[in-house]
Amino acid sequence: MDVVVAENLRRTYGETVALDGVSLSVSEGEVFGLVGPNGAGKTTLVRALTGTTDAEGTVALFGADPRAVEEERIGLLPQEFDPPDRLTARELISYYRGLYDDGRPVEELLADVGMDDSADTYYENLSGGQKRRTCVAATLVNDPELLILDEPTTGIDPAGRRQLWRLLTDLADAGTTIFITTHYMEEAQQLADRVGLLADGELVESDTPTALIDEYGGDSLLYIDGEFDDSVASLLDYETSLDDDRLTVRDVSPEAIGSITATLEEAGVEYESLTWTEPDLEDVYLELTGQTVTASGQILEEQR
Amino acid sequence: MSRLGRLFAATRAGWHSFLRRRTAVFFTFFFPAIIVLIFGVLVQTQPASGGLFTEPAGWYIAGYLAVVVLFTPLSRVGSEVARHRSGSQFEKLATTPLRRWEWLLAQTLVNVVVIGLAAILLLGLLFGATDATVRLSPELALVVPFVAVGVGLFCAVGALLGSLVDSQDGVIAASNGIAIPLVFLSEAFVPRELLPGWLPLELSPLTYFTRGVRAVTYPEPVESAVGAPLGTPTLGLLVLSGFAVVGFALAAHLLPQTD
Repeated sequence: MDVVVAENLRRTYGETVALDGVSLSVSEGEVFGLVGPNGAGKTTLVRALTGTTDAEGTVALFGADPRAVEEERIGLLPQEFDPPDRLTARELISYYRGLYDDGRPVEELLADVGMDDSADTYYENLSGGQKRRTCVAATLVNDPELLILDEPTTGIDPAGRRQLWRLLTDLADAGTTIFITTHYMEEAQQLADRVGLLADGELVESDTPTALIDEYGGDSLLYIDGEFDDSVASLLDYETSLDDDRLTVRDVSPEAIGSITATLEEAGVEYESLTWTEPDLEDVYLELTGQTVTASGQILEEQR
Repeated sequence: MSRLGRLFAATRAGWHSFLRRRTAVFFTFFFPAIIVLIFGVLVQTQPASGGLFTEPAGWYIAGYLAVVVLFTPLSRVGSEVARHRSGSQFEKLATTPLRRWEWLLAQTLVNVVVIGLAAILLLGLLFGATDATVRLSPELALVVPFVAVGVGLFCAVGALLGSLVDSQDGVIAASNGIAIPLVFLSEAFVPRELLPGWLPLELSPLTYFTRGVRAVTYPEPVESAVGAPLGTPTLGLLVLSGFAVVGFALAAHLLPQTD
């Protein structure tokens, strides 16, 4: 059963098209990760899905209009959510818990997000990561069947992020349907059963992380750093490119690395380091958004 | 039970949020104190010489109460709405069982208690520091509903401002822009006799507050205090309540739920 169904969503703000014919569905128990650059329309899509903005097209949550769905079934964390700041973390979670008849114990939620030690600190005095974790807890108070999280881990340190990942993974394992937007490709790859890429208001692609990487991730790459002249490329039976002091060798399996270094050493070519990478969701993101990053870190944009 | 539970949760959160803003708390109570100090003690009443204040001290009790009932709820609720908007709190609340009118009622309850306490402080200062007297009668109890309904009305107006104005600064500026003319055009400090006859003071809901409160507090019957079209303080309270109900419904409807 599809918990979220959106068809042909379109939303404009004056001349700006925030959503342009977006259609997607999320099935029960699935984790759907939405990635995209700043201004791609992710937050507008979240608002359209929750009925907190008006958009052309249709949205159904649990088969009904989002504004007609029982609130107990949904948990929303807005992107720039900034709750009352002179309440402690415990009081904030109690406040939102008090809006529902049934739900999870406040102390359990505090422990789940790792806030039990800072539960009595005013929200305004929490660190950025602690604030965000408190907000996530406030979203879980009603034990929702559908969780919609707009960039939940922004500003959280790596340890806190991984703690939230574990929490979300446990929720997903227990059957909670999760729609999550994120800037972190690693997060989408780690958590999502399917990933959608939104760019310029359009859902450019949507599939499992593995399928997207196979389709758009490109080759595995071997980076060889050192001082080379142009003739080094002719030594190797691979597609290569030389950029500053880095030789990039494409489509290299881990087993082939030994023969490549042997070839270089036989030719008397010295190098400083080797780095092998396999394609990941970040490569998919760059490919689909038409961006490339040079060895010097410069971002080049193509017209999509 | 669930509606009461939601109201209790929202009211408790609003109460804590307010009480912990020490500057806001201080000025909420400092405001009536400084008004009494300036106008009641320093300027004082000059009945014979026709100075700034021409009526006996007791006549202005209604005016002082009007100031606290008007200014603080207007700016506080307006600012709270603006804060909720900028922090996406309404977006979050739209997906919870809390209804917009319940949120506004919770804010109103907090303000009724806070302004009630400020009004008690103001009356204590008035009787302690000036020669104001009050008429003791069973009708005096009507001051309580007058204050409560007045606070409710101006909480609603504040919520309207917060919904229609796009920033917290704008809300405060708009609040002042509305409150100051209302104080002077609602018989709070300026008697009807000193204003042009064509001014339709009855269009201001604050007029019904000042007339009604004056009618139950001022020792002497005052023509302008209970004059037409209001026959009795109870009728004034009913009219004020009408304004409050309409204002509350409109404000609850206009509270933002979407972006």
